[in-house]
Amino acid sequence: MEIYTKAAWIIPLLPLAAFLLLTALGRSYRRAGVLIGTAGALAAFLLSLLVLIGRLGETAVDYSKAFDWITIGDYTLRIGFEVTNLTSMMLVVVTLVSLLVNIYSAGYMKSDERITVFYGYVSLFTFSMLGLVLSDNLLSLYIFWELVGVCSFLLVGFWYARPAAKAAAKKAFIVTRIGDAGLLVAILLLFWYMPDHRLEFTMIQSVFDGPSGAITTELSTLIALLIFLGAVGKSGQFPLHVWLPDAMEGPTPISALIHAATMVAAGVFLIARTYDIFLDSAAAMQTVAYIGGFTAIFAATIALAQNDIKRILAYSTVSQLGYMMMALGLGSLTGGIFHLFTHAFFKALLFLGAGSIIHAVHTQNIQEMGGLGSKMRVTAWTFGIGALALSGIPPLSGFWSKDLILSVALQENKLLFIVGVAAAFCTALYMARLFFLVFMGKPRSSLGGAHESPSVMTIPLMVLAALAVVAGFVETPWNGALGSWLSGGIAEEAHSSGIAIIASIAVGVLGIYLGWLIYVKGSVSRSIVSDKAPWLVMLLERKYFIDECYERILVKPLKGLGTLLMALDSYVIGGAVRLVSAAADSAGKAAVRLQNGQVQTYGIAALLGLVVIVLAIVGRRFWS
Amino acid sequence: MSILPDIPILSFILLSPLLGLLVILFLPKHSGNLLKTAAVIATLIPLALSLWLYADYDKQQSGAVYEEQLDWVEVPLNKELHSDVSAFTFKLQYELGVDGLSLPLLLLTGLVTAMAALGAFHVKKRWKAFFVWFLLLEFAMLGVFLARDVFLFFVFFELTLVAMYFLIGIWGFYNRERAANQFLIYNGLGSAIMLIAFVILVNTAGFRVEQIGEQVQYVYSGSYADIIRNMTDAGAMVNQPAVNEMGALNPFVMSDTMHRTLFIMLLVAFGIKLPIFPFHTWMLKVHAEAPPAVVMIHSGILLKMGAYGLLRFGLLLFPEQAKSWAAVLAVLGVINILYGAVLAFRQMELRLVLAYSSMSHMGIVLLGLAAFNEIGLQGAIFQLVSHGLISALLFLIVGSLYERTGTTELTELGGLARSLPFTSGALLAAGLASLGLPGLSGFVGELLALLGLFESMRWLAAIAVLGVILTAVYVLRSVLKITFGPLPDKYAALKDARLIEAVPMIVLLAFIVLLGCYPSLLTDTVQYSIGDVFAQLLATRAGG
Repeated sequence: MEIYTKAAWIIPLLPLAAFLLLTALGRSYRRAGVLIGTAGALAAFLLSLLVLIGRLGETAVDYSKAFDWITIGDYTLRIGFEVTNLTSMMLVVVTLVSLLVNIYSAGYMKSDERITVFYGYVSLFTFSMLGLVLSDNLLSLYIFWELVGVCSFLLVGFWYARPAAKAAAKKAFIVTRIGDAGLLVAILLLFWYMPDHRLEFTMIQSVFDGPSGAITTELSTLIALLIFLGAVGKSGQFPLHVWLPDAMEGPTPISALIHAATMVAAGVFLIARTYDIFLDSAAAMQTVAYIGGFTAIFAATIALAQNDIKRILAYSTVSQLGYMMMALGLGSLTGGIFHLFTHAFFKALLFLGAGSIIHAVHTQNIQEMGGLGSKMRVTAWTFGIGALALSGIPPLSGFWSKDLILSVALQENKLLFIVGVAAAFCTALYMARLFFLVFMGKPRSSLGGAHESPSVMTIPLMVLAALAVVAGFVETPWNGALGSWLSGGIAEEAHSSGIAIIASIAVGVLGIYLGWLIYVKGSVSRSIVSDKAPWLVMLLERKYFIDECYERILVKPLKGLGTLLMALDSYVIGGAVRLVSAAADSAGKAAVRLQNGQVQTYGIAALLGLVVIVLAIVGRRFWS
Repeated sequence: MSILPDIPILSFILLSPLLGLLVILFLPKHSGNLLKTAAVIATLIPLALSLWLYADYDKQQSGAVYEEQLDWVEVPLNKELHSDVSAFTFKLQYELGVDGLSLPLLLLTGLVTAMAALGAFHVKKRWKAFFVWFLLLEFAMLGVFLARDVFLFFVFFELTLVAMYFLIGIWGFYNRERAANQFLIYNGLGSAIMLIAFVILVNTAGFRVEQIGEQVQYVYSGSYADIIRNMTDAGAMVNQPAVNEMGALNPFVMSDTMHRTLFIMLLVAFGIKLPIFPFHTWMLKVHAEAPPAVVMIHSGILLKMGAYGLLRFGLLLFPEQAKSWAAVLAVLGVINILYGAVLAFRQMELRLVLAYSSMSHMGIVLLGLAAFNEIGLQGAIFQLVSHGLISALLFLIVGSLYERTGTTELTELGGLARSLPFTSGALLAAGLASLGLPGLSGFVGELLALLGLFESMRWLAAIAVLGVILTAVYVLRSVLKITFGPLPDKYAALKDARLIEAVPMIVLLAFIVLLGCYPSLLTDTVQYSIGDVFAQLLATRAGG
């Protein structure tokens, strides 16, 4: 089975080939375009599966290979790939979700005139994401990191004629770029401090894991925080989360693929890959944990007050990514990766389900929906499974991963445990609200003849629903299979505690029950909060005014600075240039006047010239 | 074994545009298509030859320098002043040469000029005169990168100004004549400073004593090889004390103050061209007023001459001064990057956005030079080539957009991705290359320059990284304004790029992708050839 691991570098090239072919073919081959894109993803998925199966045994060794990209004197920058258990797991997650999204889009994007372009972009994204996952060093990871960012940008702005899509694409690119700049500085630092200027993850591990002498703790903290800045941007953590909800302007399959399952989890993956740097710095770990915990509760509360189905799910993603970060910050690599794994399936499921709904009713406002359960049975059932998994109801996958994180939190940091439990309550409540408003009750607007989506869209839903049910069993309180597999046989101590399990189930059930009381039974008034504390609802609806803050703190001052510098440029510096040019002009005119045919004038000029020459010759003695 | 050294390939490259120029002189002035075809073919010859040279050069990997040499001007001086001398002359040479520093820029010149000739479809009047000046400009640019005699370099440098003056003044936009005048005066000022510096150099470091048998010759030489040999040779007259132990005066001595002054003069002279803040405003007018095909050359190559001159004459001849001024260079580079980026963000005219963008990107070159290590210098050279390709592509697209919409005002443009999908796609790709997307050439230059600078000036490099964010802001702002959003009715019927426009776009983009994915193609050529020059610089760094 070793052979598949060694051939893993082929996996990203398959979707790349699909992208190149699609670009070369152009827009006219619509059906062929769909087939080529899907075939690329399918081939990549099958090969990834073979790689994973080959590594399930106990003895799998990591394999890496690199080539010299740039060699300058003694310095070499390399690009390479590495297959570890973590990367092989990510390969399967990425290619599987990508494959399902490719299939689903054949229905969802059917009538779009640029469907071939869409498939091309999706293939390019899949290539970049696989390249990111396989990278063996920080520089090649950064290269693919930027490429997934630009694919995200292209796909968010896919419907480019819409002003909202244009603004969202721009925002997504620029906000994540702020994080990327941090990651770039981290790479620059590592390049100059690592022995032999090596950036490989294995080298990072051995340098930071061993008795550190070369790199001080302060430096580790700095590097870790800069890497974390990159992760904050990509994974939508506070305060750089603002782009992710806006990114919902992209086609819904993209939200499932990029903005739920794969790219936004890249930040978590990045920290997992460079975890030894973080472990070297307690301060950095704490920052990660607190930012993650804060984001989890912060985004969950915003999700309570939103009405756009995709935005609710987007804030939910932000919140769940916060859980993953919190787990990593609390020292549980397994917890973070496990939640990434389960979340990829149930959140992709929820987004694709939302896409199915939007496809049927042509609105994204849940207040305008209602009673869709009877018309769209498959969508309703699968969406319900996804919602329960997200709310942490056993035995669905989300329960196991969330429980692991909460158990760790209970052990490590009581405050973050309470935050986590509170966020879990909000999660159950906003999902209950969403589900009941969409599927139960009566239609609140004329939804036309809403009907179930075609099977090309529902089959991916069913596959993901099955995974959302079973994916959690890879790591349960009595079976730490995932953790020991990821760490190469060293099992992390089982963290599970009764209190965490009970708390986690209790808040999940309570949240759903409260949602049922409000939105189905009606025994609790919907306006109970808005009557008593209208400011609170406003605060949540306006997302804590974060966008407005950015406008005031960053955008306006930058524009002001630009205006100021423009004035400086045209009056002061440009003025100096005009002065020079005017001076040259008038010097020329003066010279013309000098040439008046009078010998006396010429004589004076010659004399002056002589004086200058003499002065220069004499002066040179003193000067040198 | 290469056959190239047996034929004067460098002269072939240099003179081939003149051949085309001769042909054009004999063509009737009203047959536009014939003239254009002749001009394009004339630019393809130096391109093909320099590609050949590049391929041949890379294979050798030995750092051998192609050189050709002929006596050009020889002025006899009063040998009677010296008793023991058989000849005393002032000698200027027709001396050409390429090394890893000039070869990539030579190839860039061939490529961008050929693409600009293809892109000159918007010229609507006086084709014959246009292409005569155009080919003369190419001749001059090739000469700048080939010349190995300071005066020969100066003559070619000036010739570019003359050719540009007419190209801007006759074929430019509304304020073309003012722009042309300002361009000539401001650049002329820089050239004057350069000339003074060169004269001083020839009279000090250029002095050479030749021993042929019993006969001794004194020569004032303009040869770059002579000058750099004397500058670095501790035994040369220029490095001897002003008064030797015998009490004789040494008129060729160059004191520390003179070293510094000459370095600053060269920095200003080439800084105007580069342009370094605050010498940049002249170039805004050129970007805004010159015809797009000419701006392709201006932004793509002429600005690079400034950096090339600064590296060739400033850094390599005055390494110690350059080293002590490295921090200043780095600060200027950071100012260029951030100042250019903030101003590009506020412009409402696409051509001015791109002008400030050029300024910002040339700041990265300064960072690479200031790094004063191998990585940084490689980054600077890479950035020169990369920005040459990217800005040429951008102005090619500007020409296509202007031809269709009649404007380059951002407020007037929008939604063009719908009616012009190919052109818009090329614009987006060029924009992404400009903001340093990995996989495209802009990233490599940026990365290497920052990596180099980070060794010595950590904080400045970190501040420069802010430019990475700001570049994304202004590039996306203008590119998305033009291509995204709803399509105004007046642009609904526009036709996408014709083949003759698409070909140069694809060629330039192909080179951008090629260098972005496979940068060794460029870095290795540079490395093998001027590794010893770097070693010399680094030795200065270690010793000084």
